[in-house]
Amino acid sequence: MNRIALLGQPNSGKSTVYNALTGSHQHVGNWPGKTVEKNDGYYTYNGKKYAVTDLPGSYGLTGNSDEEIITADYIRQDNADLVCVLVDASQLERSMFMLAEFAALKKPSVLLLNMMDVAKQQNKQINHKVLEKRLGIPVLPFVAADQKGYDKLKKLFSSELEKPHKLANAPASSENGVMAECDAKYRWISETLKDVTKTSSEKYEISKFDKAALHPVGGKLIAIGVVLLAFLAAMVIMAPFMAVGSMLPGLLNQPIHDLLTGWNVHSWLVSIFSLILPNVLYFSLSMAGFVFGVNIAFGFLEEIGFLARAAYQFDGILSKLGLQGKAICPVLMGFGCTIGGACGTRVMDNWGQRMLAMAVVWAVPCGAIWSVIPVISGMFFSPAETACICLGILLYMAVMMFIVSKIFGKVLAPKETRSGMIMELPPYHKAHWKHIIKEAFLKSWDIFKRALVTVTLVSLLFWVFSFSSNGDITKSLLYRVGTFIEPVTRFFGMGWQTFMGFLSSAFAKEAVLGVLNAAFVGQNSLVDATFNAKTAAADTTMLGSVMAQTISKAEALAFIFACTFNVPCVMALSTTYRESHSLKWTARVAGFYIGGALLLSCVVYHIAVLFM
Amino acid sequence: MKLTETTPDTFGIIKNISGDEHFINRITSIGITHGVRFQTIKNDKRMPVLVYLRETLIALNRNDAERIEVTVR
Repeated sequence: MNRIALLGQPNSGKSTVYNALTGSHQHVGNWPGKTVEKNDGYYTYNGKKYAVTDLPGSYGLTGNSDEEIITADYIRQDNADLVCVLVDASQLERSMFMLAEFAALKKPSVLLLNMMDVAKQQNKQINHKVLEKRLGIPVLPFVAADQKGYDKLKKLFSSELEKPHKLANAPASSENGVMAECDAKYRWISETLKDVTKTSSEKYEISKFDKAALHPVGGKLIAIGVVLLAFLAAMVIMAPFMAVGSMLPGLLNQPIHDLLTGWNVHSWLVSIFSLILPNVLYFSLSMAGFVFGVNIAFGFLEEIGFLARAAYQFDGILSKLGLQGKAICPVLMGFGCTIGGACGTRVMDNWGQRMLAMAVVWAVPCGAIWSVIPVISGMFFSPAETACICLGILLYMAVMMFIVSKIFGKVLAPKETRSGMIMELPPYHKAHWKHIIKEAFLKSWDIFKRALVTVTLVSLLFWVFSFSSNGDITKSLLYRVGTFIEPVTRFFGMGWQTFMGFLSSAFAKEAVLGVLNAAFVGQNSLVDATFNAKTAAADTTMLGSVMAQTISKAEALAFIFACTFNVPCVMALSTTYRESHSLKWTARVAGFYIGGALLLSCVVYHIAVLFM
Repeated sequence: MKLTETTPDTFGIIKNISGDEHFINRITSIGITHGVRFQTIKNDKRMPVLVYLRETLIALNRNDAERIEVTVR
């Protein structure tokens, strides 16, 4: 087997190359005993199979982070036949540091001068032939986001695997500590780059746009404005997915029902196939749509270099949460979709910060919550009061983020590992749309596949609990359990109906209205209601008047807060587990959120009762 | 003087960096080492310091920038 490993600093375009090479032939796992993600994939070229490993991104190889230790060991133990080192051609001197670190390992390698387009834009000329001669390994000028170069790259890989080259020289090692080591490495870099590239020593002129975008006050307003626009764009992109998805249950239900009944299939199975499956499809499709839209919008902002500016703006606020500026992207994505936010934490520097960022992102109410809560609130409160409630949710979100960071921050990001933001602000450049769309598609396809499985399983579970032979809700297991524990849930401010709604909010926020409808109005069976969320909940005026008669305003308010700050949907949980590779921590944070939501509901109810 | 005390558009050279090995590793791997020429781009209160060095615009949080000694030309 031919094994190739990709090595490079963050922002070197490493994962772009990895994705473009392997496409859908990827496998995500764990490095043994570590929470660091291991990405393996393969491609075939001229009938031969090539395995590609995307090594964890880090700035060097000699640091003591998990990522660096894994990477250095992996290369040292000859797990790769060829190491492809990526550097950013537009910042050659700085990004060559990785090569300088790698040089000491003396393994077969090639050098990829990525982002040649950006370098050209900045009028930087690089004489790669001289560089090649000096290094003794092949040097390939490259644009990772452009599909055209990949044939050349694959050709280079196959010829190098047959006749490999090693670096001709390495930086002198020093016994005088880390600092002297580093100085030696940069000396080696400047010797290597002599006459290869002209280092511009002229003054840096800050661009007009950056003058505004980096302003302490104005820049924050710009960042918020741009992000709002991005969400608008994301919604436009996801609209068709939602539209198609929402039609599926209505379109598929009857035909499947008739077909299966015609075959004399048992009514239970008919119910499963005609109700649950179309709705699973609908949920999965809308989640994939969410993830697709959010990823295109934020992928664009990331690629043109804007997100780094936003990170600069919000570093101060986020550092109070034990995070740093880079977490701004996942936090903002969380307003659209918690799944997207959890994936977005990949930009964080280490695992602890990543897990902490995910825990914090859970507190951000997602798009689905914002579509459900005002409807419920409107049944009990005036528009002005509803606006106040939404404001209250935002305020409590800030409180919750703070509490989460205090409770989990100590362990996940202990003071001594907390590293403030040290990041580059890349020059603005044009977006490679094809690349952005492809990445967003891969991500949303992955979510779609996992959602099908997860949502089916959870739906079946819910179906068992809510099933009743004649459609009467009082016959269901859920009703019996719900009314049995009602004395307890009452204490937390919720009767059995609202508590059922609370439970369903952990399944999917979209299901809440349907479940409430079944529990309060009781016309449809609970099964119908949950899985026909959209159609059953269409008559919200009816639900509103029944609910307003049945429960107090205080209970409604408690319920609104409990739902909003409950654990996010099952898919967000499953994504957090997948991204963190830690069941223990996902469960721990989930337990905290459920407990926190119940406690919040309890407090809100008992205070509200005094005034309402 | 400290990097945090420089004003925008000053040019200088990094003189000394103090901190534990973890910090030194992080800061050097992004390109901040002894003797490097830099230009301060922005230095606003309660915001990270922006410096330009080795063809890169770098944002450095204030606590870390405190630990970097520079000479201004």
